Amino acid sequence: MKFAYYPGCSARSTCAELNVATHRVAQKLGLDLLQLESATCTGARELRAIDPAAFYALNVRILALAEREALPLMTICNTCTLNVLDAHAAFVTDADLAKGVNARLAEEGLHYSGRTKISHFLWVLHEDIGQDRLRKLVTNPLTGLTVAAFYGCHITRPPGRYGFVDSRNNIALETLAEILGCRPIDYTGRTECCGFHTAASDERVAIKLTGQHILAAKAGGAQAMVTPCPLCHTVLDGFQREIEDDLEQKLDMPVLHLPQLVGLALGLTPEELNIDRHMIPTDVVGAYAAGMA
Amino acid sequence: MAVTATILSPASRQGQIERADTLVQRNALLTPGDTITVRIKRSAGVGAEGREQEFAVPYQKWMRVLDALNWIAENDATDLAYRWFCGSKMCGTCAVRMNGREVLACWEAVEPQMTIEPLRNLPVVRDLVVDRSPYENKVASLEPWLRRPGDYAGFPEPLSHKQMKNASKALDCISCMCCYSACPVIRLGGLTDFAGPAPLVQLGQTALDPRNDPQRIAASLERTGIFNCVSCYKCEEVCPAGIPIVSQIIEPLKAKAAALVPAMAHHAFAVRAIVAARGRVDPGALVLRVQGWRALLRLRRIVRLLVRGKISPLRTVLAIKTAAAAPARRILGRGPS
Repeated sequence: MKFAYYPGCSARSTCAELNVATHRVAQKLGLDLLQLESATCTGARELRAIDPAAFYALNVRILALAEREALPLMTICNTCTLNVLDAHAAFVTDADLAKGVNARLAEEGLHYSGRTKISHFLWVLHEDIGQDRLRKLVTNPLTGLTVAAFYGCHITRPPGRYGFVDSRNNIALETLAEILGCRPIDYTGRTECCGFHTAASDERVAIKLTGQHILAAKAGGAQAMVTPCPLCHTVLDGFQREIEDDLEQKLDMPVLHLPQLVGLALGLTPEELNIDRHMIPTDVVGAYAAGMA
Repeated sequence: MAVTATILSPASRQGQIERADTLVQRNALLTPGDTITVRIKRSAGVGAEGREQEFAVPYQKWMRVLDALNWIAENDATDLAYRWFCGSKMCGTCAVRMNGREVLACWEAVEPQMTIEPLRNLPVVRDLVVDRSPYENKVASLEPWLRRPGDYAGFPEPLSHKQMKNASKALDCISCMCCYSACPVIRLGGLTDFAGPAPLVQLGQTALDPRNDPQRIAASLERTGIFNCVSCYKCEEVCPAGIPIVSQIIEPLKAKAAALVPAMAHHAFAVRAIVAARGRVDPGALVLRVQGWRALLRLRRIVRLLVRGKISPLRTVLAIKTAAAAPARRILGRGPS
């Protein structure tokens, strides 16, 4: 099974461990990933607000790169996923926009006709690998590890894109966690916002919001959190010491990228998955993976 | 947590949940004669101690949350305070939180177990009644009315559907405050100067109207703190009028702000410039550009990031380009397209 693979900016910089883990897990799962090296940033939340025309061009270009290879596109970041989905939707519903974008892409010999299937790694696990096959591939179940799934926003909202009237109904991550041997917990933060998108200019919102989510996960008995989005990970893990300062209490909540949790259960070592590259030590997860917990 | 459902692809998932979540489907969970357990958070207002009171309500066919509240007020708690007027999704006065989610009482099917609370982010007057004045004062301060910069052109004014695409969505707002209650940034109180989704939708009705005076729009936008919106789509999720609040109101308003008051969009322009130059976002460069040398004061974090190899000062300082730099430059150029 082959995918055009779009890692996004975060997995190529502050969350480079996510890119490493994704490649390793893909190998284990039998996924052949063609990394789109010339793919640009999707524009995060900023470009779509201040320069919609450029936003559509950048994102449709990514879709066109995948279409040129006749491959479905796999993403690993929530915000990138929503951006390409939104651009695709606008492209197929607005003929003028499609024409304009293709004129811009023609300068480098690219063309999009609206055929690229967009999928996030989380959905690839459910739809392309399938729960039954995944269950068989689990050689090192993380039996007993309690995990709090943190979805973030852009993989489950807006309702018009994903179809959840109530995003709390999304159980894709919990289903997976169970297959990997973990015990998923229920808590209020599951589908809440980490505040990443205003954090570069003002961290206070992210620190306040995410502090509540980690506290709730901890109160629910979680030993670790798992997220399908590197932007959420940046706040949950990278800002956790500032969050602790704000709450005036230690949290020490390890936060894994989704491919890292899957990789451990498939028998990859913590080192191979770079889980030692996080700000908050992940020893407890490593102990479960080594069967020492 | 029970985990059973199959996860479908986004395309095939579209509409699936809606079809399973209609009034008819939800009512099918209950049959007339069943008893519904309704817990209502009651209080005498701001500062008063709240209490939860439980009621057993006999289910009647097609029962809505409002019907359950009416039954309680008529039979069990004649002093229950709640608001409603039209009962048909028009007046926007009956919004409450049911099982942790903002709903219009007149438009939501009952559930077998319901906890009903007043909306958040507004002071409680009594029981389920909230004081709307913080919202109303905010809206008034934004002066959301239309003033043409020139003379009235006479009827019919030259307006296309396309020009009014976003403003007309904003005009669907019934001011029910569901979005205001769901907003996590408003929930943080005065931490930011964010006006919140509902006031922005009200502003959008005229600020996204091409006839309005740009200078007035600029002055209004400067009072919104709009770039504090975290784009979580919580407001869109609960909007009973189905307004795409983030994509068709807040983002177009941000675009107006970027065009009319560029300083407000400093952060967004920084992202654009970095992507145009390097093809991808370099987090170090972004933080430096947005926060200036202040960013270096966060020494503890910088050391932590360096130790874990999460930032590369060399890449930031030397502005190393990625393989995506050339195509980004081709599309973004130097200025906004």
